[in-house]
This record gives sequence, structure tokens and C-alpha cells, in this order.
Amino acid sequence: MPWEWNKGSETATMTNLNIRVSSGQMLAVIGNSGCGRTTLLDIITCKDEGGKIKSGQILINGKLSTKHLVKKCVAHVRQDDQLLPHLTVRETLSFIAKLRLPKSYSDQQRQKRVEDVIAELRLRQCANTKVGNEYTRGVSGGERRRVSIAVQLLWNPGILILDEPTSGLDSFTAHNLVITLSRLARGNRLVLLSIHQPRSDIFQLFDLVLLLSSGATIYSGTAKDMVQYFTSIGYPCPRYSNPADFYVDLTSIDQRTREQEMECLERTKSLSDIFQQKVKDFDDFLWKAQDENRELTSSETSVSVQTPTKDKVITIGKHEKDELPKGIHQFSVLLNRHVSNDLRDLTTLIIHGAEAVLMALLIGFLYYGQGANPLSIQDTVALLFMKGSLTPFAVVLDVVAKCHSERAMLYHELEDGLYSITPYFFAKVIGELPEHFAFVVFYSVPIYWLANLNPLPENFLMNFLLMWLVVYCSRTMALWMSALFPTLQISSFLSNAIFTASYLTGGFIIRLDNLWTVPFWISFVSFMRWSFAGLMQVQFTDTTYKVQLQNITLTIPGELIVESMEMDAYPLYASFLTLIGISAGFLLLYYLSLRFIKQKSSQDW
Amino acid sequence: MEVVEDASSDTTISGKEGSCNISVQNICYTVRERVGPWWDVQSYYNKWTRQILRNVSFYMESGQIMAILGNSGSGKTTLLDAISGRIGSKGTLLGDVYVNGSQLKKEQFQDCFSYVLQHDSLLSYLTIRETLTYTALLALQKHSKDAIKKKVDSVMAELSLTHSADTVIGGRVFNGISSGERRRVSIAAQLIQDPKIILLDEPTTGLDAMTANHIVLLLSELARKDRIVIISIHQPRSELFRIFDKIAIMSCGELVFCGNPQEMITFFDDCGYECPEHSNPFDFFVDLTSVDTRTKAREMETYSRVHTIASAYKDSNQFQNTLQLMEASKKSKVKQSIPFKQKEAPSELSKLFVLFRRTVRNLSRNKSGIIMRLSQNLIFGLFIAFFLIRFKNDVLEGALQDRIGVIYQCLGGTGYTGLLNAVALFPALRAISDQESKDGLYQKWHMLLAYIFHIVPFSILSVVIFGAFIYWTVGLHPELTRFGCFIAITIPPHLMGELLALAVLGLVNNPNIVNAGVALLNIAGILVGSGLLRSLQEMPRVFQLLSYVTYQRYCCELLVVNEFYDLNFTCGGLSNLTGPTSQCPYTKGTDFIESIYPGATSRVTFDFLMLYAFVPAMIIGCVISFKFRDILMRR
Repeated sequence: MPWEWNKGSETATMTNLNIRVSSGQMLAVIGNSGCGRTTLLDIITCKDEGGKIKSGQILINGKLSTKHLVKKCVAHVRQDDQLLPHLTVRETLSFIAKLRLPKSYSDQQRQKRVEDVIAELRLRQCANTKVGNEYTRGVSGGERRRVSIAVQLLWNPGILILDEPTSGLDSFTAHNLVITLSRLARGNRLVLLSIHQPRSDIFQLFDLVLLLSSGATIYSGTAKDMVQYFTSIGYPCPRYSNPADFYVDLTSIDQRTREQEMECLERTKSLSDIFQQKVKDFDDFLWKAQDENRELTSSETSVSVQTPTKDKVITIGKHEKDELPKGIHQFSVLLNRHVSNDLRDLTTLIIHGAEAVLMALLIGFLYYGQGANPLSIQDTVALLFMKGSLTPFAVVLDVVAKCHSERAMLYHELEDGLYSITPYFFAKVIGELPEHFAFVVFYSVPIYWLANLNPLPENFLMNFLLMWLVVYCSRTMALWMSALFPTLQISSFLSNAIFTASYLTGGFIIRLDNLWTVPFWISFVSFMRWSFAGLMQVQFTDTTYKVQLQNITLTIPGELIVESMEMDAYPLYASFLTLIGISAGFLLLYYLSLRFIKQKSSQDW
Repeated sequence: MEVVEDASSDTTISGKEGSCNISVQNICYTVRERVGPWWDVQSYYNKWTRQILRNVSFYMESGQIMAILGNSGSGKTTLLDAISGRIGSKGTLLGDVYVNGSQLKKEQFQDCFSYVLQHDSLLSYLTIRETLTYTALLALQKHSKDAIKKKVDSVMAELSLTHSADTVIGGRVFNGISSGERRRVSIAAQLIQDPKIILLDEPTTGLDAMTANHIVLLLSELARKDRIVIISIHQPRSELFRIFDKIAIMSCGELVFCGNPQEMITFFDDCGYECPEHSNPFDFFVDLTSVDTRTKAREMETYSRVHTIASAYKDSNQFQNTLQLMEASKKSKVKQSIPFKQKEAPSELSKLFVLFRRTVRNLSRNKSGIIMRLSQNLIFGLFIAFFLIRFKNDVLEGALQDRIGVIYQCLGGTGYTGLLNAVALFPALRAISDQESKDGLYQKWHMLLAYIFHIVPFSILSVVIFGAFIYWTVGLHPELTRFGCFIAITIPPHLMGELLALAVLGLVNNPNIVNAGVALLNIAGILVGSGLLRSLQEMPRVFQLLSYVTYQRYCCELLVVNEFYDLNFTCGGLSNLTGPTSQCPYTKGTDFIESIYPGATSRVTFDFLMLYAFVPAMIIGCVISFKFRDILMRR
């Protein structure tokens, strides 16, 4: 696969880089921190993170690289591991295999592939261990790193890009990994990796090396000629040092003092100039000797020279033929993954369950209405409001926290083109339903029974449905908020604000007609107002209350109570429809936020 | 391979003043673990014993630096944890550690060894000099100011931090010193206590090659000054080969080899594995001693190789020599005392004072933190005011309902903002206190108390701003003394919200869970205690009793009395119209108070006392929770 890019930039980030790699080769980008390795990989994978390509282009198979093309044939292993914490290593890989391997694979073949990758990366010992994260114990850091690499190796991509694959791995595993990568490269694939400190035995495995320092090319060529090149320009490598270490040190910028920094910058500048000169002069020589074509063009001309395509098999083609699983299939895999991950998280399940049950018992016993003393009118009204407006707050906080913990993974998987937004959206929404249903049952049924609310079965059902809807509104609102804002703090603060606004305009804390125009209009979209109205009507319509006041017994019809709270303006079905409408609206907003807002995460706790 | 034999690694016990030696003998560590995850019921109930460390023994003297090499999972970190006394009581630790020939008790480990963890936890708004000075003040209380300054300067010079001494350390949000400097500050903080034995867990991980080399060179210089330095290291570069006096290689929890570089080369030569010319000896030998689990056959083969090498080492001269040295040091006539870290146990109060100054200094540079603390309540107040604008005076227009609503919000809202502050700002400090308490600098609850003291003024100020705004905007009772009382009543709930969150943060690590849990706890308190949502007289007996232990009960009673006492309302435009036939149950505020809190007007002082008594009680609760955290973390 011929592949060429040509890049010039006015800033110091990356200047005048021109290199061509064909399939079957492994290119290592080396250099000290801050040399532009990650920037380079970002440019190749079409991720414009802040920077802009001033001039130059990247060609894959002679075609200008686009996001679409990159998704199809480039696998990118990132430096940070983004994995679901409660799945085991094998499960993680199986789910990816179901999403990533072409349809033509049978289940056995998929399973075989997973097992192969597990063996390849020496993950057999921990295959049945949870992946884990900072709060839950799981596999070790190095193992998690290997799982991330395994995820990308799984689908056999045409171009494999790895950002610091060996950092955090022990030397033995690192060595094995690079051997694996070089074997992959031999199988007509292109492997590109950035690495800051390759061991000598790893260095020997590289085909091509690109040595960068503050964005400038110091050397690019075959690994075995590197020492020869530097010797020819007067920097021989001492006998017992690792050439990679020696030359990375030579070109690194020492920022400890100002003078040293200037000196290093000077040296780097001269080295990159020498290299440009050398390559210009020996252009032919290099090309002939290595069957490799590297040309440097100045940043002004920046149009890469098209070299004739000479490669036989194009790996991308294979992937275009084999269709990846689509729509319904993606949805079912994602749903399965979502539910498995949730079910495995015992601690969270217990905590959420305890939250629901304890609050239900507390409220239920507080408003205990069984037996001789039924609840008074005021207490019943207070109970009906509170039921729908206090505890869902915890649901909002939980949902926001959970979505944010998954946000970075979602972003990366969408960028990788593992699945599209729509299946994810449906899987997420439907995957939340069992938990939601369980929460409402555990929370609202005990209260209903303990407080001895209207005992007719249809009233109970209505009450339950209203509770279900109001909690669902809170949940969808939280989903929307966490998709809309990049940090956990902003999301939880603003969902808190919406919740409180809905709460204050609910008609219980402040009378509806004491609200001035703006909040009065807000009250129409306040889900608590509608649930309160609905619950009031369900409870009081067609009932009478006897009130004992100074030896006089008054009979108050239930409708009057509803009227006194001004909750009778709209019929019951209006409450239902509005609540359904509000949650549908939040879902729509959630979908739109997923679709149009990058799910990049910048969480900082 | 060319190796320069170092003079300091010769094998006689030097009798120099101030020198010391450490022998670690037959350290074994085993844990019992569940075989499978919880959803796999059958295997979950089976437990198996896993041996993490197997008979590890070595001997070191002052002036030496030892590197522990090995693959991940070989037990490097566990070994360091075990020696430093940081290992939990989850497993069983066997074996002895001798320093200068006398056996060390498990409790003494922490006082003798300094341990630098892989992750630096430092306060992000302090400068390097301040960080070290505060550590020095905590560790060396009895020294004079000049002595401490001198000590800090000398430590900074030793770790070449002098040129950036007054740079702020920085955190994730803003830039400060580089990662190599951060690591050096962590090491410097340990050096303040003048330890003779320093352990470091992966000091070079996450640093680029040049910085990593620099750190290792610095450490070897430290060792030359009569200290013992033991580090676990990951992929050291070949230049470092000659720097270490001793190299230990671990595999599967066993010490496969331990000796100086020259001995290592000859030992492996004798075993028949010669290090090739152009490769890094570290990497070569580590690869040689690691188990390849890719296939069963490879696993058996590599495992038996490791086993052969390990038994060859056990029979080798080096190992016999080590054993002899251990015996010699144990039997030596003139036993030197155990070189404990310098620690003149300063009084608890002065520790608290230093910590207090440190947290204040740290917060004073954190502008966004201060703004958040001060403005959160106000934003909340703006929110309420936006929806309500102003109270009516007619019961039919909701005069009672709206007032109760605002009182409820003042109670619940200020508590919630307190919780948010704690959850956002405290976890970082908690991480630091976890680490420093393990260094024996202070106890976890000292940090907690310092934190609590430094938030009090901010809490008061924040409530005053909030109160002044909401009180006059929505039109609560317009009397200055009542305004004063209102402020005094709303301060405790704000503090209690934060304190409650702190107490839970002591037991639960994940701040998100604390956030939701404590929010619910506050709501539950309001439900049971306030009497606004459920009349106190009609509640079941248990909850009536329970309500006495909620601060919300007293707070709410006071707020209601403060607002409604002697306040008269109209009813449909007419005043003073009461009676069962009227639509308004109450037009006199005093009647209303009597109906929900009978006799509340007469126990205002009592309520105030009770409300304020909750604050110290909760502080004690927090301290207990953090004492409990000690026990939890030891497990």
C-alpha cells in the first residue's frame, strides 16, 4: 500500500515532513517527549485536535485520506485505555469481535480469533478477570494496556497505528508485542508506532525509523542505516550504547536551563538541515539502496510527488468487500454488552437498590397510613408531591456519573467507526430500562402500600405509571445533560438546575399562580408539575374525606382538594401525554446531542 | 560487557559511624483469593492460596543502591510494600527484617524506611519550597526556624531543585513544574526526615528517558552519602548498568538473582546464558527469567528455566556469602542502634496548626475554588428568587405555602451546596493525607480537622451573602434582629452538609457515590426532621424519636418561629378572620407555629443550642470515620 504524506506548517509543531511507507513495513516514530509524535499520529488519523494542516497532504493508496477512509482501514491504539470496567477480558474482546469482524465470520471463527489474540498478547491468565478501573479492582495496568491493543489487533486492520504501545509494559511483553507487530507487518500490513525509548532489541525489529525533534525530521530511513548515517555526519554511536537511546538523547531538548535549551535547539536545527541537504543530494542513492522513496519538499511547494503505485494487494479492498455488521446487529451486540456490564457491577447494583428501598421504606413508614389512622389531606398531598420529586434526584446524579465514566470510551469507539450513533442510542436507552423498571418497582410499590393510598387496582396502576414516567423524565434529562456537556461538574450542576427548576415550578413548593410569567411558562414543561397533577387526580377523584374540626365533621369531596391546589386545570390523560411528550423530547435532545456534539471527555476527578 | 566494579560494593562490613545495614530474611507473602468473579457462583466460593513472595532474602549496606527488576506480576511492588510495612493484613507475611543486626518489629517498619510511591500526590497550589517547608515543619517540629530553612535548602540543593524553588507545583488544570521535578519533590519530601533507608516504587515510570536517567543518577548519589536506596525499576537503560551496586531479579515472587553487575554477568555465564554484545543486559536477563504463557509448552519450558536459574543462585557463592553477612551482622558485638527517621513527635496541636496553614495557603491561590465556595449559595438564591419574586400576604394567595417553600429550600439547598464543595475539593486532599499518614507525618484526621477549620470562614461568608440576598429580595420578616437570626440559623445546615459528606468520604472512595448518597441522606433528614413535609405529631413514634437526632428539626423549627412569630396575614383581603368556616385555617403566624410545632416559641434558646451542638458532634463523627478509614486501609 503506497502511502505518502507531505506536510508543512508555519508553527514549530511539525515542519516539512515527507515520508512514504508501503505495506509490509513497520515504521517507528521515535523522539523525546514533545517532539511531535502524537501530533503526527493525530494528523494521519485525521484528528484535528487544535492544530491545522497548513499545507501538504496525506495519501492512502494514492487517495487523499478522509475520515471515512481512515475509519475503514486504520486501527488506532491510543495511549489511554478506555474499556468497560466490569466485563472480563474475554468478554470485552468477544463483544468487539462481534462488532468489528465481517459478517462472513461464523461464531466459531470469531471465538477462535478472540482466543488467538488472547494467546498472542499473553492474556490467558487474566482472560476471566474483570478489566476494572480506578475504583474497582481488575487486571493490572500492563494487562489493561494489552487488552486495548488486543481490541485493535482483533479486526486485522490494513494500517495499524499505535501510540506508545510499549509504555507500561514490561520488557518481555514489550519485545513480544513488537515481534507480533513486525510479523503483522510482514503479512502485507502497515504498522506505524510511536515510541519514546525503544530497547535495542526492539529497535532492531523496526524497518523504518523516523526520528523527530520538536517537529523537525532528524532522520528518516531504514533502522539499520541509522548508525551509518549519523556516523557519516560526524556523530558516531558509542560502542556499547543503544543507538536509539543515543540519538534520541542527542536530539532532545534539555529545558533545565535557558542556555542549554538554546544550545539543544541550535543543534537540532543544524541536524535537520543537514538531513534535508543529505536527502536532497542522495535522493537517488537512498531510493535505490532501500527500494524506498523519500523526498523532501519545502513547505511552500508542499505538493507530494505521486509515485506510481506498484503494490499488488491492497488490504483496504478486502474490508470493503466484507460488509461489517450493521444496524440491528450492532444494536443487539451493544445492548448485550451494556446489560452485561451493568449486571456485573454488583456494588453499584446494591447501592442503587439500597437507595431505592431505603428511601421507599423511610417515606412509606413516615406516612404510614394502614390501620386506624388514615393519612390527613395535607399529608397525602405532601406525600404525592415528594414521591415524585425527591428520590429521582439520586437517579439523576447516578446517571450523569455513569454516562461520564463511559463518555471517553464512546468517543473513541465512535471515532474508530466501531458502530454508529443510532444503534448506540437505542441500545443505551433500552439497556437502561430494566434498571429503571426495577428502581420504580422497588421505590414506588412499598410507599403505595405503606401509606395506604387509594386501594383500587386501576388507581394503583395509574399511580405506578405516573411514577414510572416522572422518574423516566429525570433519567432522560440526565442522559441529555451528560451528552451535552464535556465535564461531569457542568453536567451535574446544570441537570441539578433543571431538576430544581422543575421542582420549584411543580406547584407544591410555590403556588402555581404566584409564579410570574416566565416561571409559569416553565411550569408547563416541568415534569413534576404534571406528575403531581396526575397523582392528585388519581388519588382524590371520586373519593370523599372526612375532616374532624371542633366536633363538627366535614365531608370534603376529593375534587375540592385537587381544585384547591389548582391541579384540575387539565384532565388526567393530559398529564400522561405531557409526561410522555417531555421524556420523548429529552430523548430526542439526547439523540441530537450524541449526533452533533463530540463526546470528548475532559473529566478531572 | 564491560563493567566497572564499584568500590562501595565490597563485601566487608564497614564499621564506619552512621553506616547501617539491612538484612531481609525469608520474606514470604501469601493471600487467599476467590477463584472466580461473583456471578460464577461455583468458583466464587472456592478460595485458593496464592503465593506472591517466596523466601526472598537479601543483604545491603550503606552507600549501596539496589535495583529490583522483573516483569509485571513478579512481585517487585509487593516486596517493597512488605519491607516498608505498607502491606495490608489481607495476606500473611512471614519472614524477618534486621537492621544493623537487630530485628525490626512490624510496627517499626514505617518509622525506619521512607517509601516513595509511584504516584506523586502533592498540593497543586504550593511552591516547591513551601511544600518541603511544611513537610519539614510536620516532621521536625522541635527544630528552630533557621534549622528547618537550612534543612529544606540543603535537600533542595541535593535534588537540584533550587532554581525552581518558588515555582508552583501545578495540577491537571494549570501547568507548573515538570513531571521529573514533581518526582524529585516527592523524593525530597522523604529526605527531610533523614532516612537511612529509602525505598522507591518505579521512580522512573512515566518520565522520558533523559529525566529517568537523571533521577536514577540522583538516587545513586543519595546512596553514596551513606544511605541505602532500593528501587523497583521498569526497563532501565543500559547506561544505568554500572550505576547500581546490586541488581535483584524477581520472577514469580522469587528472587532469581541478587548481586552486583559483574557477579550477574558471571553468574549467568556460568548458567550457560551469555549476554550478547549489543543488547541491554537488563533486558536480556529479565527476558531470560520470565515465564512465557503464550502456549502451554512455552510456559513449561520457561518455567523450568527460571527454576533452574533460581536454584543455581541458591547454591551459588553469592547467596552463601549473603547468608554469612547476615549472620555476621546479627552476631556482631557492637550493635549499632536502629537508625529511625528523624521524628520529634510534635504535639498534636502544632501539627494541626501546620496543616491548617498549609491548606489555607493552598486554597488562597486557588481562585476558582474560592469563587465556587462563595458563589454557589448565591446562585442557588438567585434561582429561588427568580421563581418567587416576592411573598404575598394573603393566605388564599399562598402566603403560608410560599414561605414554607422558601424555608424548605434554605434548609435543603445550603446543605446540598456544602455537599458539593466537599465532594469537589476534598478527595485531592484525602489522597495526600492517605499517603502522608502512612509516612507517619500525622494522622488522617489531623488533615480532616485542618480542612474543616479552614472552610468555616468561607462557609459563614457564603451563607451571609446568600442570606442577605434572599432575605430582602423575597421579603422575609423585615426586622434586623430576625435577619441576624436567619443568618445564624442557616449557617449550621451549610456546614452540616459539608461535614456529612466528609464523614462519608472517609468510608467511601468514589466521590460520585458519595454525592448521590449524601444528597439522599439530606433529603431523608428533611423528611423526618423538618415537619414541613410530614407533621411531626402524626408520624409513627419511631420517627418522632428519630427526628430529635436530625439537625433539620431544630433548624426548621427556628426558621419557622423566626419568620412567623407575630406575623399576621389576610384572608381573601380581610384580616383577622378565623374559624372553622373560613377558608383560611390560620391568619396569625403564631397560631400556625403552635399548630406545627407546639410550644416552639418557648424553646428558641434550646433549639439554638441543639442546632449548634450538631456541628461539634458531627466533627467528632468525621474524626471517627477517618479513624475507621485507617482500619479499612490497613486491611
